[in-house]
Amino acid sequence: MSDAGARGAAPRSVAFRREREALWFELDALVDKALRRGLGSLDAEALHRLPVLYRSTLASLSVARRTALDQALVRYLEALCARAYLAIYGSQRSVRGAVREALLVTFPRMVRALRVEVALSVAITTAGAVIAWMLMDVEPGWYDAFVDPGLASGRDPHATTEALREPLYGGGEGALATFASFLFVHNAGIGIMCFALGFAAGIPTALLLFTNGLMLGAFLQLYASRGLLFELVGWLLPHGIPEIGAVVLCGAAGLHVGRALIDPGRHTHADALLRAGRRASMVVVGCVVLFAIAGVVEGVFRQVVTDDGLRYALALFNGLWFFGWLLLGGRRRGAT
Amino acid sequence: MNESLEIVGPEGVPLRFPAASLPERASAFFFDLFVIGCGIGALVLLLIGAAGFGVGFPLVLIGFFVLRHFYFALFELLWRGATPGKRLLRIRVISRDGLGLRPEAVFARNLVRDVELFVPLVVLSAPEQVMGPAPGWLRLLMGLWVLVMAFMPVLTREGTRVGDLVGGTRVVRVPAADLVADAADRSSTAPAAFTEAQLAHYGEKELETLADLLRRFEERRAELSDLYVVSTTIARKIGYAGDQPAQDPPRFLRSFYQHQRAALERQLLFGTRKASKLDGARRG
Repeated sequence: MSDAGARGAAPRSVAFRREREALWFELDALVDKALRRGLGSLDAEALHRLPVLYRSTLASLSVARRTALDQALVRYLEALCARAYLAIYGSQRSVRGAVREALLVTFPRMVRALRVEVALSVAITTAGAVIAWMLMDVEPGWYDAFVDPGLASGRDPHATTEALREPLYGGGEGALATFASFLFVHNAGIGIMCFALGFAAGIPTALLLFTNGLMLGAFLQLYASRGLLFELVGWLLPHGIPEIGAVVLCGAAGLHVGRALIDPGRHTHADALLRAGRRASMVVVGCVVLFAIAGVVEGVFRQVVTDDGLRYALALFNGLWFFGWLLLGGRRRGAT
Repeated sequence: MNESLEIVGPEGVPLRFPAASLPERASAFFFDLFVIGCGIGALVLLLIGAAGFGVGFPLVLIGFFVLRHFYFALFELLWRGATPGKRLLRIRVISRDGLGLRPEAVFARNLVRDVELFVPLVVLSAPEQVMGPAPGWLRLLMGLWVLVMAFMPVLTREGTRVGDLVGGTRVVRVPAADLVADAADRSSTAPAAFTEAQLAHYGEKELETLADLLRRFEERRAELSDLYVVSTTIARKIGYAGDQPAQDPPRFLRSFYQHQRAALERQLLFGTRKASKLDGARRG
């Protein structure tokens, strides 16, 4: 070599950089494009190159950290690798695949992982319903304490039996779609609230579940006292299975988070909260879908179909897919 | 103020990200709120205008719900951890465990946003909506709790909000990668010669300071007189004979930088790291 003297004096990191610079710049260009327009904007060859370039640049970074004294070089490699990481690992494989996995595999699995909280949530709701029923057996005036007059809309103990029967079969007057979407938004909002309030140690969640149970029990007792229980259950069950189920599950999600805060077990609080939060949030996302289904059934089907037999048939159908989904979903592919 | 966050990627190499500052995140959030507001406005105008109230209104209701609860989550899933606001400010969400950002984490951190923002607002304005007929002391306790949640970003050392704790995520700045020319990478026509002893005075800290000075000189942010002071000081300290330090400070300094770095890097290969001139060379 002609400039052997100069080369001998030059730091090793100069040669190190000269040899690898081209690869870094190639990666830089690909990462730039991927960060701006997504990995999908890269062609097949670039996608093939990207991980190769990323790994060799990571190797460069490791070497440079230990051996190069040019801080500008190390800083550049740090930044380049961080950018490449964001471009490569920040990415979701495919949105449709992720949604399908979330709903069909993760959601039922997480529900089963929360079975203790689900049982507790069911117990609190049932306790509310039973207490309301028993109190109303003694004194029907309790009804007003349990059911918000706005929600009852005249369906209270002062109404005649005919007036109570009428809404069960009163065909949908007017905008069914508006009604359905209103129900969905209202109920899903309550479900998300149930989860979110888990962060106050789960106490407000339990309260919400309990008041929900009180309302349910009061309704059931009112109709039972007029001999309309069979008709009411036929009216309630088709949408009630996904809807009440979802409220109970959201409540369980909130209780799960609350439990992590109170009793983190072997983990630190932060760690327990992290695990519980991830599980619970997937349950809530699944519940939003349940609320949407319930909204459609409630807003449209319930108003149009007035035959008791058909209503019970749909309730049976809904019960089958609901429990099938939660109990069997995501079992095939190995355990998590 | 702005510390960096280290995560270990799947390849096992630690990566460093600058953590996004609170003002940056707040600006991104308010921009997103603005986008949501515009989205709702557009929905109302378009759907009700085009389809009439009967069909349009339920769609608006659903659209409003989706925007309120899933705007952040969907964008963070689709745009690799960035919402429009975050993109504008060049910040992104990453998973602390160094693996990819999972949907669970995204949903967790964004569902919790409700407790941090909307629930405190409701608790302050209309507490009975959340808690029903609860006794006063319980309300007060809950209110306090929820407010603590809301102010977490200000309370915790790292400025994480509860959603980030629950999701196991952090918001980081996308670093800019800019490779500047290496001051040691130029063939000097008359390289000054240094002895081993002359190169034993300074350490990495001084080397970096010198590199910085040379860089600033290239960019015309340092005067020739600054270089003159530095080069004569170095020459005196290391006992360099000759008039180059006084005659041509830039060339002398570049040459010295090159040799000093080569010497320190050679030592580094043998496991000896000299952090600064005060540091007796130690095994590292």
